[in-house]
Amino acid sequence: MSEQRVLRPTPTDGFPSPTSELQAATENILKNRIPIQSYTSTDKKLLEPILQKNLHLEYLLRNLVQGFPSRYTSQDASQPWLIFWTLQAFSVLGVGLDEKVKKRTTDTILALQHPNGGFAGGPGQAAHLLPTYASICALAIVGKPGEGGGWDQIDRKKCYDFFMSLKQPDGSFLVAHHAEVDVRGIYCLLVVATILNILTPELLEGTPEFIASCQTYEGGFCNASFPGWARTEDKSLDSAAPRPPLGEAHGGYTFCATASWVLLQPYVRTYYTGTKPTPTINTASLLRWIVNMQGNPIELGGFKGRTNKLVDGCYSWWVGGCAVLAEGLLGVDLVNHEPETHENDGSNHEGWDDVDDSLFNRKALQEYVLYAAQHHAGGLVDKPPKFPDAYHTLYCLSGLSSAQHRVVPSETRRADLLNYWNTDEAPKDKLDELQRDAFSNVLSWQEEEGTSKFVGGAVNRLNATHPIFNLTVTHSEGIVAHFYGRKLPVRQFRKPQAGKSS
Amino acid sequence: MSHILDDDEGPKLYSERQDWADVTPIPQYEGVRPIAPIFYTPEYTDATDYFRGIVRTGEKSQRILELTEAIIRMNPAHYSAWQSPLDVELKLMDGIAIEFLKTYQVWHHRRLILTALHDSSSTSPPPTSAPTSARDAAKSELDFITRALLTDTKNYHTWSYRQWLLAFFDLEELWAGELAYVERLLQEDVRNNSAWHHRFFVVFGRVKRGGEVGELQDVLKRELAYTKDQIALAPNNPSAWNYLRGTLEYTNTPFSSLETFVQLYILEKAPELDVLDLENPPPGPGAQLPCVASLEFYADILEKRGEKENIEKATAIWKSLANEHDTMRKKYWEYRIKGALTNTNS
Ligand SMILES: [Zn+2]
Repeated sequence: MSEQRVLRPTPTDGFPSPTSELQAATENILKNRIPIQSYTSTDKKLLEPILQKNLHLEYLLRNLVQGFPSRYTSQDASQPWLIFWTLQAFSVLGVGLDEKVKKRTTDTILALQHPNGGFAGGPGQAAHLLPTYASICALAIVGKPGEGGGWDQIDRKKCYDFFMSLKQPDGSFLVAHHAEVDVRGIYCLLVVATILNILTPELLEGTPEFIASCQTYEGGFCNASFPGWARTEDKSLDSAAPRPPLGEAHGGYTFCATASWVLLQPYVRTYYTGTKPTPTINTASLLRWIVNMQGNPIELGGFKGRTNKLVDGCYSWWVGGCAVLAEGLLGVDLVNHEPETHENDGSNHEGWDDVDDSLFNRKALQEYVLYAAQHHAGGLVDKPPKFPDAYHTLYCLSGLSSAQHRVVPSETRRADLLNYWNTDEAPKDKLDELQRDAFSNVLSWQEEEGTSKFVGGAVNRLNATHPIFNLTVTHSEGIVAHFYGRKLPVRQFRKPQAGKSS
Repeated sequence: MSHILDDDEGPKLYSERQDWADVTPIPQYEGVRPIAPIFYTPEYTDATDYFRGIVRTGEKSQRILELTEAIIRMNPAHYSAWQSPLDVELKLMDGIAIEFLKTYQVWHHRRLILTALHDSSSTSPPPTSAPTSARDAAKSELDFITRALLTDTKNYHTWSYRQWLLAFFDLEELWAGELAYVERLLQEDVRNNSAWHHRFFVVFGRVKRGGEVGELQDVLKRELAYTKDQIALAPNNPSAWNYLRGTLEYTNTPFSSLETFVQLYILEKAPELDVLDLENPPPGPGAQLPCVASLEFYADILEKRGEKENIEKATAIWKSLANEHDTMRKKYWEYRIKGALTNTNS
């Protein structure tokens, strides 16, 4: 039976506006990207979309070795990002790098370390939280311990001091000196501080409250909230005062805020005891917002970044990849999730609907990336007819990966990690407790066995990527274990517990 | 590519200029062959080599402004170049901002200047002759933002900056025109979510600050009436429904208070009404019903009401969303069913 696709245009209610007109034009472009064979052919091979891995690898290799053309001058202050996007795309595609490339990359990144801590967007530029994340993650991929390996040349003390120097009274952080507050910067800071094992209660004070204040009435998060009305005369913070969100709910900020929230939980668990009220976010409305960002069948199931905006390949990661974080926060037990309305739709993708999976449509998201986001000359794009760039290439691939695999927090793994730590000593103090919790919190994310799904078949398989860091699980474990001075217990796949047959 | 060499009229490279001869330019990478390099234009490489030169010496003179402006015009995202002295005139920046609206640095820099103006005028009385007292600067800045939004009605940073400006100066005269402004924008495009968010900010940001409970009730009435009218025009508009839900949640108003209204939108054809009920505007003539948001809303009312019969009705709606009206979110609607059943069983 051939696949039934109902491609209903988004209703305009006979009341068009600039938004609906742009939407309709985009739908016309997107729906033509579904190969016509899908409607009629009985030859399954013709139906399956192919991830053009070789073309994308050539595109990436060109960027890495030959460099970027001069139109990338706008990225001059984002040089470690160009490197991270390219390297991580290689990792997701399952391609390792040779030692020479690794060494050259390590040297390039180390040239960005600022004398006063943190990393800059380019040599001689000021340190900034965003390139600091990109640099540390690039080093997670290419670096190693020891002389010239990159990891031991990171000045953790100065990095911590740099972070503290950006701290604001409302618990937020400037992204750089004299610069703005932005939840993307906070996400970058928390990833780096977690990896480098430099979390302290002083660093994190007020940050959970700040993140919570960035959630808008729509359920997603914005880039910052207004602090002015919450400042008392003595510069302390009136926790009851309003801190209205500046800007609407947005995919990039929602990912960063949600991942930050997950990274802050060890601190919340350890230090919010007794009288301090635990800050909360509305996880149900967050999940509702995320799933509503997925476009309809006529948009091929790609994700949007804001209500009533257009789908864009990069939100495959920022929003699609955020779904699993929201599910984790809600404690959704998907393994026991019994589909209530299961109907065999005669899909060509056998078994799609009889395995429990995420709360968004994984299959449709894969189709968006495969059909709409691949450029015929290599590299991936926002949407046709745009040209590829390093940023969209990585985030389309990461989004595709997050729709193929389920990487979820495993309580078993968490217990293993803690047991391993606890064989030596009991927690000395709260800081020690925080470090243990942070360590096991991030490394407990494991790929769930038997729940991978590949549109187009296993030839399209990508490596799984850590939902918080966007590094492979292997790269995440390597660098985290190094900075916590720990050996790791052998990793086991998380087996789905209590399957439906029981 | 070498057109700059013999061109007397074009700008010279810094390396050719006598007045910069005292600065030692610093190449980007010393002793490192960088991976993934960018191929800059010679002008950009030249300017940034000199920028690194003065960063190293720590020079703080006027000529830095010229250099940083040149760099910013070639690359507005060069955040380090923006960190130079703040005595750049706003006027000089207007041109740059319109050209590079998508860049954070532009808006943030304007914000720093306005903050400085505000701080200096609050510690000493504003000079009477100055055209740029903080108040005037804020007003003309709001006009400037309005002009910028004309060309890009959903620009994230511009909207975020407008909200910051309103809250930071917190002047009645600034807030006064905002609601009318939002309504103008929504008249042009009822689906502009940035405008809807701005409405929420203007309405509830302020009420929350000093609002009395009585006042809040009036505001709520006004907002519900306005939003229902916008939904009637175009029922399949998630921005308006999200605003409606947000308003109810913010004011702790039960969704069930809108049951009559919502029921007009959950059927395939709106019921014929004998009398026009202004509180419950019916869907417009072109409305494509039922709309997903109304079904979701009605199921939320039923779920909240509890009891087996209501949950069964809600479940039927969720199933119709999963299998017919909103198939992309099938898994989500199934999750809602499971959640409701778990709650009633326990
Ligand atoms: Zn994009």
